[in-house]
Amino acid sequence: MNIAFINCFAAEWMKKRRSFASWLVLIGGFFIPFITLIIFLVYPKQLLSMHVDISRNFWGLLFQHSWQSMAFMLLPMGIVLAVSLITQIEFKNNGWKQLHAAPISFKNIYFSKLAVLLVMLLQLFVLFNIGIYLSAVIPSFFNRNIPFPNYAINFGFFLKENGKYFIICLPMVALQYIISLQFKNFLIPVGTGLALVIGGLIALSWKYIYMIPSAYTALYFIRSKGNNVPVHNLLEWSLGYFLLFILLGYWLYVSKKEKG
Amino acid sequence: MYCVETNRLSHSFSAHASVLNNINLQVPTGSIYGFLGPNGAGKTTTLRLLLGLLKKQQGDIRVFDKPMQQHRIEILRKTGSMIESPSLYSHLTATENLRLLQKIYQCPKERISQSLHTVGLADTGNKKAGQFSLGMKQRLSIAVALLHQPALLILDEPTNGLDPNGIIEIRDLLKKLNEEQGISIIISSHLLSEIEKLVTHVGIISRGNMVFQGTLKDLINKQQQASSLIIETSDTEGSKAIIRSMQLNGTVENDRIMLPIPSKEVIAILNRQLVSSGIDVYEMSPVKKDLETIFMELINH
Repeated sequence: MNIAFINCFAAEWMKKRRSFASWLVLIGGFFIPFITLIIFLVYPKQLLSMHVDISRNFWGLLFQHSWQSMAFMLLPMGIVLAVSLITQIEFKNNGWKQLHAAPISFKNIYFSKLAVLLVMLLQLFVLFNIGIYLSAVIPSFFNRNIPFPNYAINFGFFLKENGKYFIICLPMVALQYIISLQFKNFLIPVGTGLALVIGGLIALSWKYIYMIPSAYTALYFIRSKGNNVPVHNLLEWSLGYFLLFILLGYWLYVSKKEKG
Repeated sequence: MYCVETNRLSHSFSAHASVLNNINLQVPTGSIYGFLGPNGAGKTTTLRLLLGLLKKQQGDIRVFDKPMQQHRIEILRKTGSMIESPSLYSHLTATENLRLLQKIYQCPKERISQSLHTVGLADTGNKKAGQFSLGMKQRLSIAVALLHQPALLILDEPTNGLDPNGIIEIRDLLKKLNEEQGISIIISSHLLSEIEKLVTHVGIISRGNMVFQGTLKDLINKQQQASSLIIETSDTEGSKAIIRSMQLNGTVENDRIMLPIPSKEVIAILNRQLVSSGIDVYEMSPVKKDLETIFMELINH
């Protein structure tokens, strides 16, 4: 990693300060855990049922419970919005011409923006996991019948599962990045991205569903619940798609005739 | 020695509409080059090509005597620019806008406050760039262009949106940068009057063609050549014969003779000749075309 890339990344990171995309990560990370928390406070039985049999892996159950809504809707939609918002910072502020008239290689511009998106995704996962933990802990302070979740956390499980979800999100980030870099009009990448998410959900049982990366998080969730899905090597497909999309995106970006 | 030189630079956005035709731009090092032309003449397209913002189609671009395509980063490291409307991140403050560019240019942190001070924006505090007036945005864009102390400044209509005071301040600032730091400046405008007090060299572009390029002095000479002398006498035909005998070309229009303005010594001799020939001279007046008229004639030709 060269110093020019690090400086470029630092500049890109500064650009998202106070932007809606950075708020979206914060809100998106805590949204599902917050809803879960409210449910546990209003319907404590749901949380108590997880406490009943520790052998059933309390944290694992809670993790699965929280990922349900996240995997199907919130995460794919969040990716569509956050990626589009990040590239929109340049379009909205006439920033492309200043950026392309600066002494940075196109490679550093393209990959530093992508790196910012991936770090933001990582941030979202960290916040989401903190939120999952808090959604189980906080109710015990308000309801004496709910025990404090004193169980050992299987960090290996959390890391492995989060890592897999992260990899599965990569092609969607890269695809949305390609689309968002091409269009100045915010509605086009957002509309296309959301159409892909909804299309993916509709086609979940389709035998060629592995062609639609926006359905991967939902597919992975279904599989992690023990159900059969038409594709078994999701991680390999994700990495393959990611590589393909970042290379295609870079080629499209560099070949643009007008750069601001 | 030219800091920017283009050779037969041509560009078109569609197959049938050529925007630039064989532009040979020559910007001497250390000059303030006024790039003039009406809206849509091709100024911004030329400047965007110089900065690599448009993919070059035909011709060559050399900046600091190096081909732009092969030395893009090296050239941009020494170039500051502002193209059309300001490029500022509206959700960030002036300092934050400069700080992120300071990271990219890897210049000293002190340059941030120095640049803001230079353009008179040192006291904007936590105000976001989006809340700035257009004039303040223009100033901040100039601060961005100056941040890394470039050797070449490319400014596309930088005084747009500035009040008369602001225009004078920016003009003084550019003059000072040129004189004290030797920065070469290309400044585009559609108004000659706006930059004639600033520039040393002028390039005039019209409908994608370069119609004039030279020093401001060359343009002033052109102005003098385009001026004429009007003579009204008691004997138009007799006067015309005397003018012809002095090898001057005069045309008659409404009993008045019009000829390209000769030197003041020749005017004195002509007057003496007419009077000594018994012709009464009623009027002998020079009609000078101003620079703006010359400019308009060049772009409308």
